[in-house]
Amino acid sequence: MKGNNAYTLFYAAALGTVCSLLLTAASSFTAPYKEANREAEIKLNILNVLQVPYPEGATAQELVEVFKANVVQETKGELELYRFVPKAGAEGQETIGVAFEGPGLWGTIKGFLALAPDMRTIRGVTFYEQEETPGLGGEIAADWFRDQFKGKKIVDEKGNVGITIRSGGAKGGINEVDAITGATMTCDKVEAMLDEISEKIVQESGK
Amino acid sequence: MADNQPVCGPCVSKGLCGGKGMLTLKEGAWTSNPLAIQVLGICSALAVTNKLENSIVMGIALIFVGVFSNLFVSLLRNVTPHRIRMIAEVAIIATFVILFDQFLKAFYWDMSKQLGPYVGLIITNCIIMGRAEAFALQNPPILSMVDGFANGFGYAVVLAIIGFFRELLGSGEVLGIKLLSESWYTPNQLMILAPGAFFALGIVIAIFNAIKGPEPEEEKK
Repeated sequence: MKGNNAYTLFYAAALGTVCSLLLTAASSFTAPYKEANREAEIKLNILNVLQVPYPEGATAQELVEVFKANVVQETKGELELYRFVPKAGAEGQETIGVAFEGPGLWGTIKGFLALAPDMRTIRGVTFYEQEETPGLGGEIAADWFRDQFKGKKIVDEKGNVGITIRSGGAKGGINEVDAITGATMTCDKVEAMLDEISEKIVQESGK
Repeated sequence: MADNQPVCGPCVSKGLCGGKGMLTLKEGAWTSNPLAIQVLGICSALAVTNKLENSIVMGIALIFVGVFSNLFVSLLRNVTPHRIRMIAEVAIIATFVILFDQFLKAFYWDMSKQLGPYVGLIITNCIIMGRAEAFALQNPPILSMVDGFANGFGYAVVLAIIGFFRELLGSGEVLGIKLLSESWYTPNQLMILAPGAFFALGIVIAIFNAIKGPEPEEEKK
């Protein structure tokens, strides 16, 4: 009986059904927890880029609390803004976070751009979701690459909007940073998405 | 499956599974340790051992999957059609791996992110697959569980040893606690990177083999 086809098919179907039922149950049971973790992760990214102080090793819930207490979410035209205004006496400086995303080389890149209240000076940038080649394009998430943006402007001296990620090394312009060697495609795409968001920021904030 | 009972019947009087339990335990964890002696499943062992914490969680994952997949493969061994036995094994293994992965994602999010795809890749880990195919298919459920535990444990111990030294030498910490002060110890970045894992694993294998002594009979292979 073990050798016949009908039995084999029946066995495979039964085993498959049992396994998938188990997994479905587990997945729906853990869904709310996973959702909470994902939300806390996004909040954590915003807190980081806005440099909001939060206790180290904070749980998902605590992070959401800190976020609620410090960050105001506002919509301006197409832009979703996250404004951090430090309470009197608390550390930190007023910073506005803007979410951006765009296609990378291998997948969607998502990140936040933190700006000073003048809406031109960059306080920081993060790429919290990216699948670029590790060691090459993946370096966009590394501190050395991201730190270059601090203090740069999204508009150059002549009023041209956008960031230049220059291969061969930045020439010291107020909107230039070094590109990553061997990751031209990723850099081009990151530049394109930063240009796009800069354009929108400039439009929404006037001038 | 009625024939399972007699084999494990004398468990109570003669120790675990009629004395076979201890032997199985010793084989999996020591004499044929999956990592140090058989050199199986080293992909994950190299990838997640840059910190002791990661290594321990990965070890626990392997023990969990090993025990339960062996149990179910063994329970079903007499009803599984021979032709699709490997597919059945993989389905069972995958189920437990995904359960563990979901658990990590829900309750240990940070750990889950650090281990990345390697938890999921336990599905294709040759230790688990090998034990299901070589042991659980021929042995009764309880003994198979012991075997799964022994092999998982053998893997976990080696992983923990490697993780301990890589974290200690690579970042001067163990479980995130600073042990080697930066004032006199410069962390050796190499130990955190992949090549360091090869060195560490190689040394551990050498030490295991040195302690265990040469293979008594070279008839296998």
